Amino acid sequence: MTSDPAQDALVADLHALGRTVPTVSPAATATITDAVLARLASAPAPAYRPGRSLLARARAAIAGRRRAAAAVVVALLVALLATPPVRAAVADWFGFGGVRVRIDPGPYPSHAPPPPPARVDGDLGNAHAVLGFAPLVPIALGAPNAVEVSADGRLVSLSWTGEPDGMLRLDQWDANLDGLFAKTARGAQFTTVGQDFALWFDSPHEVVLLAPDGTKRTESARLAGHTLIWETSTATLRLEGDLTLERAVQIAESARPWVEPSPS
Amino acid sequence: MYLGDEQGGGISDSPGDTDVLARVRAGDREAYAVLVRRHAPVAVRTAMLLGAGTDAEDVVQDAFVKAYAGLRGFRDGAPFRPWLLRIVANETRNLHRGAGRRAARERTAWERTLPLLAEGQDDPASVALSRERRAQLVEGLILLSDAHRQVVVCRYLLDLDEAETAVVLGWPRGTVKSRLHRALNQLARIVARETDSATAGPEGGAA
Repeated sequence: MTSDPAQDALVADLHALGRTVPTVSPAATATITDAVLARLASAPAPAYRPGRSLLARARAAIAGRRRAAAAVVVALLVALLATPPVRAAVADWFGFGGVRVRIDPGPYPSHAPPPPPARVDGDLGNAHAVLGFAPLVPIALGAPNAVEVSADGRLVSLSWTGEPDGMLRLDQWDANLDGLFAKTARGAQFTTVGQDFALWFDSPHEVVLLAPDGTKRTESARLAGHTLIWETSTATLRLEGDLTLERAVQIAESARPWVEPSPS
Repeated sequence: MYLGDEQGGGISDSPGDTDVLARVRAGDREAYAVLVRRHAPVAVRTAMLLGAGTDAEDVVQDAFVKAYAGLRGFRDGAPFRPWLLRIVANETRNLHRGAGRRAARERTAWERTLPLLAEGQDDPASVALSRERRAQLVEGLILLSDAHRQVVVCRYLLDLDEAETAVVLGWPRGTVKSRLHRALNQLARIVARETDSATAGPEGGAA
C-alpha cells in the first residue's frame, strides 16, 4: 500500500476503526426497504384521479422525510396536462433543492419556446441584498441583459440574449427553500456541475412556480425547454435555454458570486 | 455486508445487480427491493460516517427513492453501488446546507458520530484497536478538512476502492489519490502529536 510501515499501520487501524461502526440490523434494513417501496408505489386506487393521488403520494412521502417537522410545503404535483391516468401510474416524483420533480411519460410537445426574459426591475446589488447571498453569474455569459427579483424576494432571475446561445434564463434561490418550483417531465438525468449534484432535463417539460403556502401559481405555468438544475452550498440554480448538456454544464461551472464593482 | 474488493467498474461484489436493474427498468418495482435490501447496510454506514448521524436511515431512504427516479440516467452495466453511495453522500451534504456555515455544521455532525466509533462494538476486529487508539484516530479525523476526512472515510473506513471513492465523492481519480496521500500524512502527524503529548499512548510507536 505505502512504503512507510508507520503509515501502513495507520491504514490498518483505519480499516479496523471502520469495522467498529455499528451495522444496521436486519429489522432496520426491512424498515428502509418497506418505506422506499411505499414511496415508490403509485396509488392505483379504483377511482383514480391523478391530482388527488399524487397529492396523497406527496404527503406520504413528505411524512417520511427527515424534515417532516418543518413546515414542508406540499407541492401540488398535479399534472398540468391531462395525462391519462393509466400512464400516470408509472409516474414518480422526487425533490431537489426547492424543486419538486414529477416524472411522467407525457406526452409533451416536441418543442418548447425560448425562456421568458427577466423583467428589468432590479440590479445585481439589489438582488444580493434581497437574497442574502451574492447572486452567481456565469463568467461564460458575462453581465446579464436583465435582472429580476421576484415580488416575494425568494427568487432572482437573470437573462441573456444574443449569440451564441440565444435566449438564456438563470433562476436562483436559497437552497433551503422548500418547494419553489414544480416540474413535470418525462425524465431527468443526474449529472454534476463541478462537484455539485445536478439534474438535466433534455426534453420540453412543464414548470410552475409555487407560492410559499405550496399552492401553484397557475399564471406562472409554462413549457420549458432544456434545463439544468444544480445546487451549490448556498443556492439552487436553474439554467434554461436551447443548450446541449455540455454547454449548460460549461456555463454552470463558470458561475461565480457576483462582486460589487468598486466605485473607481 | 457488501464492502467488497470490487475492482473499479466491475460488478463482482454484487452479482446480479445488473440483472436486477434490468428487471426494475422493465417496470418490476418489487425487484428494486432486492437492491435496497442488498445495499442499505453499506448506505447507512456511508451516511453515518459522512456525517448524517442519527438521520442516516432517513438519508438512505431518500437516496434510494432518488436513485430510482434517476435510473433513466444510469449507464447500462455500470456498478450500482458507487452510484447509490454518491447520492447518499450528496443527500448527507444536503442535510447540512443552510443558513449556517456548512463546514462547521458538517463537523459538528461528524463529532456526533464520534461516540459511535469510539464506543464501537467489541467485535474481533476492533479488539485489535484499543479504546485510546480509537479515540485518537477519531480526534484526528475531526481535525482534518472535510475533503480529507471524506476521502479517508470512503477509502479506508468504508473500504471502497479508489474508483468507487472517485464516483462517490464526485472527484477525478487523480484527486482521490493526491488528497488521500495528503490526508494520511496529516493524520499521521496529528496522531503522532497526540501520542507525544499523551506520553503514555499504548501504541505510541505506531505513528
